[in-house]
Amino acid sequence: MSVVMSEDQITIEVDGKELSARKGQMIIEVTDANDIYIPRFCYHNKLSIAANCRMCLVEVEKAPKALPACATPVMEGMKIKTQSKAAVEAQKAIMEFLLINHPLDCPICDQGGECELQDLAMGYGQDVSRYQEKKRVVKDKNIGPLIQTDLTRCIHCTRCVRFGEEVAGLREMGATGRGENMTIGTYIEKSVDSEMSGNIIDLCPVGALTSKPFRYSARTWELIQRDTIAPHDCVGSNMHAHIKIDRLKRVVPANNEAINEVWLSDRDRFSYEGIYSDDRLTTPMIKKNGEWQEVDWDVALTEVKNKLANILSSQTAESFGVIASPSSTLEELYLLQKICRALGSNNIDSRLRQSDLSDQDDAPVFPWLGMPIEYMETLNSALLIGSNIRKEQPILNHRLRKAALRGCQVSAINMIDYAFNYDLANKLVVSPNHMLDECLGVLKALVDETGASVPQSITDKLAGITVSESHKAIAESLNDVENSAVFFGLGANSHQASSQLRTIAGLIASISNSKLGYLSEGANSTGAWLSGAVPHRLVGGQKNATPGKSIAEMLDAGLNAYFILNTEPELDYWNGADAQTALSNAEMVVAMTPYISDAMKDYADVLLPIAVFAETSGSYMNVAGELQSTNGVSAPVGEARPAWKVLRVLGNYFDLDGFDYVTSTDVLAEALTAIGDITPDNDKHWAETFSDNTQSSGIACIKDVPMNSVDAICRRSKPLQATSDIADGKLHVNSSTAASLGLTQDGMANVEQDDNAIQLTVLFDERVPDNSVYLHSANAATNSINASLGSVKVSKV
Amino acid sequence: MLRFGINNLDMAEVKENILTQHTIEEIDKWLAKYPADRKQSAVLAALREAQHQNKGYLTPELMDAVADYLGMPKIAVYEVASFYSMLETKACGRHSVSICTNISCMLMGSDAIVEHIEKKYSIKIGESTDDGRIFLKQEEECLAACCGGPMMMVDHVYYENLTPEKVDEILDELD
Amino acid sequence: MIQKVKNYISSLFLWELIKGLNLTFRYMFKRKVTVQYPEEKTPQSHRFRGLHALRRYPNGEERCIACKLCEAVCPAVAITIESEPRDDGSRRTTRYDIDLTKCIFCGFCEESCPVDSIVETRIFEYHGEKRGDLLMTKSRLLEIGELAEKQIAEDRALDALYR
Repeated sequence: MSVVMSEDQITIEVDGKELSARKGQMIIEVTDANDIYIPRFCYHNKLSIAANCRMCLVEVEKAPKALPACATPVMEGMKIKTQSKAAVEAQKAIMEFLLINHPLDCPICDQGGECELQDLAMGYGQDVSRYQEKKRVVKDKNIGPLIQTDLTRCIHCTRCVRFGEEVAGLREMGATGRGENMTIGTYIEKSVDSEMSGNIIDLCPVGALTSKPFRYSARTWELIQRDTIAPHDCVGSNMHAHIKIDRLKRVVPANNEAINEVWLSDRDRFSYEGIYSDDRLTTPMIKKNGEWQEVDWDVALTEVKNKLANILSSQTAESFGVIASPSSTLEELYLLQKICRALGSNNIDSRLRQSDLSDQDDAPVFPWLGMPIEYMETLNSALLIGSNIRKEQPILNHRLRKAALRGCQVSAINMIDYAFNYDLANKLVVSPNHMLDECLGVLKALVDETGASVPQSITDKLAGITVSESHKAIAESLNDVENSAVFFGLGANSHQASSQLRTIAGLIASISNSKLGYLSEGANSTGAWLSGAVPHRLVGGQKNATPGKSIAEMLDAGLNAYFILNTEPELDYWNGADAQTALSNAEMVVAMTPYISDAMKDYADVLLPIAVFAETSGSYMNVAGELQSTNGVSAPVGEARPAWKVLRVLGNYFDLDGFDYVTSTDVLAEALTAIGDITPDNDKHWAETFSDNTQSSGIACIKDVPMNSVDAICRRSKPLQATSDIADGKLHVNSSTAASLGLTQDGMANVEQDDNAIQLTVLFDERVPDNSVYLHSANAATNSINASLGSVKVSKV
Repeated sequence: MLRFGINNLDMAEVKENILTQHTIEEIDKWLAKYPADRKQSAVLAALREAQHQNKGYLTPELMDAVADYLGMPKIAVYEVASFYSMLETKACGRHSVSICTNISCMLMGSDAIVEHIEKKYSIKIGESTDDGRIFLKQEEECLAACCGGPMMMVDHVYYENLTPEKVDEILDELD
Repeated sequence: MIQKVKNYISSLFLWELIKGLNLTFRYMFKRKVTVQYPEEKTPQSHRFRGLHALRRYPNGEERCIACKLCEAVCPAVAITIESEPRDDGSRRTTRYDIDLTKCIFCGFCEESCPVDSIVETRIFEYHGEKRGDLLMTKSRLLEIGELAEKQIAEDRALDALYR
């Protein structure tokens, strides 16, 4: 991998066949490209070459001994025999050595049936072992809730070790001891703490590392493989879902070099465990006189129709609003807005975590990454504004990491000192009150450097800003560098002054000639913008002459009827407590949800069970604007139905025109026709005006959503909830701020904001900047305190 | 402007508490021999110093401190420490005694020496005495002193042409 | 004409009767082969493939490790297994069903079993009165194994040489 590839083409001969190859390629790369199979354990095309399993020995003419194909560069005229007697004998001898210490426990091994060692032992192994001595036994290590170890089975290929160092960027696994005592592990008992750790399950050629949640639950030959799309981040990783008797049993990555390569984040890999949670809603339910009743679909939909018709006849259509998850499919969002608008209301929104929407009219057709995902690898410099990209979009972070290892200068302006798995060129960690100043500082440094002109309102603002060395360094790293980008992360998106941050980010990008990329929330927020699931735009991003209300406006206005699609607003909306109050005050709330929660039981009037991502067909548009469609892969639980079907039938109940779709493909076709041909463009359109931003003083509040609490499914996946990346409902504060506030570790603190006061356990967290507190969103304990509502008062209880 | 990074001062304090000033000085001497960006080259020497400081064996805390000091992943230090036989990762006696039992010494009667020491302290090869004085190292193959077999190494010093009496004399003199 | 005389003579001396009785008397003194089932039973091979059983180890631990090879090999798809880790972490079945109405008693299941857990016993006299009686569950299979363990163990010992 590290060998510099030359473009010189040479000709080699493999098994009598002439092949052309690039000089410096390894033999195995050439044979793989030409469909000639050479057995291997330690070689993996995404990892460095270790050449320590020796299984790929081949005969090379004029070489005295067999050579490892993975570590032998090709040379002009090389004659290679992969099937000759010498090659096969060498491979058989290696297999005999590998099997000396490998236990004969295939019947209880989860890898049985998909095991590279098992397969190759069929071809190269002997039926009787000449080794009579005792086999080596290695004690299993507990490396966390996701990965099961059976290290006696390990053949020391070191793929997992190399993955940790080269891909995850966290060297946690290693080979300790020597000779027969060598074992793979973490040495001390600890969890492997990487957002991509699950990939070592796929990399392990034997059953030494297997999936803990999947353990012993099915055999590979019982599983049917179907393809689906990961619905938890804006990347849209391709996955193979493995199904046994209509139930999703596990998920493995599907190769897609343009998106996720061969990797999958842990969140995408293990979220399926939440599908069959105990609180899955399995039948439609309606609330009659405060009592929940299970009913059939017809009764439930009639109830929805009658109740809504009742409200709409007595009040204006504007009293009806829709809150949708940005992780819903394009079809669902399209049908939802179609119903909503056909009923006369424009109140539909899916921007759950964005509080500052003041610049929405200037937004591009849809905010996107500004480049194909692959392009991120070629960046030479990047600035992240308010982004925990490593946990929020692990796959994008992997691309950025590759760029960083290549020499890309990555800088970050964040509110929390997030851990990165590569070195940042510049890092600014500031409280939310100073985010704007820091970005302005970078802008000012750029303006000073280039002499570019900025709008007057911003010039005024820049006057009061002092440019620091870091600002200059960031500005220099971006300016006049080929392939540079500014990424606007979820932290900046949910910032109380995100419109201003966006303007500055846009200016920084345009002055420094960088690409501007938005890292969007949910799996399909680009699709939501395009399908018109925002109040101010119609399908295809056309301006809406009569813009509807955003979620905040709906809640403030106290609408009487709500539709909720696939989200738990009390946890997913940035002001969860407000949402909960407003919803319970509404006359009617129809929740289309896969799960039933106590909060929902309280505020909803009709619960319609819908299918989760794996159970419905549909399309997601990822952050790079790529539309991917998938079929349902497993059967919906109970009476649950795909949401697009529910919406289609609901359209019929309301006697609306144009709801005669037979398949979701029909819906997609109609939506795509309506959307038309759109070229995404981040460069223009954002507001160039700049409203004054008054900074609040006092203790600032920072909130973000930990990786594994991002949506309802993840929150119900037990293995994910056993990791450390979950919403903990604690008050994170650094020790010096804690000292000034008189807080003690594990003590209780009173947190006040406006009229709300909650008590939380204090957790010292040195990543938090001074004079700030950090809370996790998506947790019921903290949903009444909000980062967007100004400063908080914190005192010791 | 309010800024906050990882508080390096705090972490340095913790490290110094684990590695003594003397150990750090010794490591620094070794570090001076390597280029500044190849600090990990000093890991063997650093571990040896850390082991001396702790009277004969390494603890995970010591190895972590070495890893932090040299800017290496912790697991990489564990790998080195567990690989080399001169580094001990489990608690053991402060005087390390290794008796060569390879062919030359064996022919010259090293088995009798092993038996004598095992009986003398009622411990087996690989164990330490209860008072933490003597540690009989598990394995040390040929130490390249075949001309003086049977031989043993006590705290890096070779003793050759051993007899049980001579062994008693050497071992009894240890503190 | 001659044929007529022949027929006359043979019917006069009751030749057909004698011929028939000859057979009767011949078999009367021959060794009897009829088995008076159910009072009498035919001998069985130790490889007899009758009712299935799940075995336990002498310490009471069930042998089955839920490898599902029998389920995979069964040509009649008569076996259904579900598995999960038991509390002690070992791989165990939570369900092991054999549908005897599907089973063709080919013996592949016992052939494939790596731990000699699923076996076919010499028991062939069983019946079901209700629907579902011939659906053997894990507990029933284990029960049969306990009842017939002595015989099963003897049979395995006899066959061990050839396996």
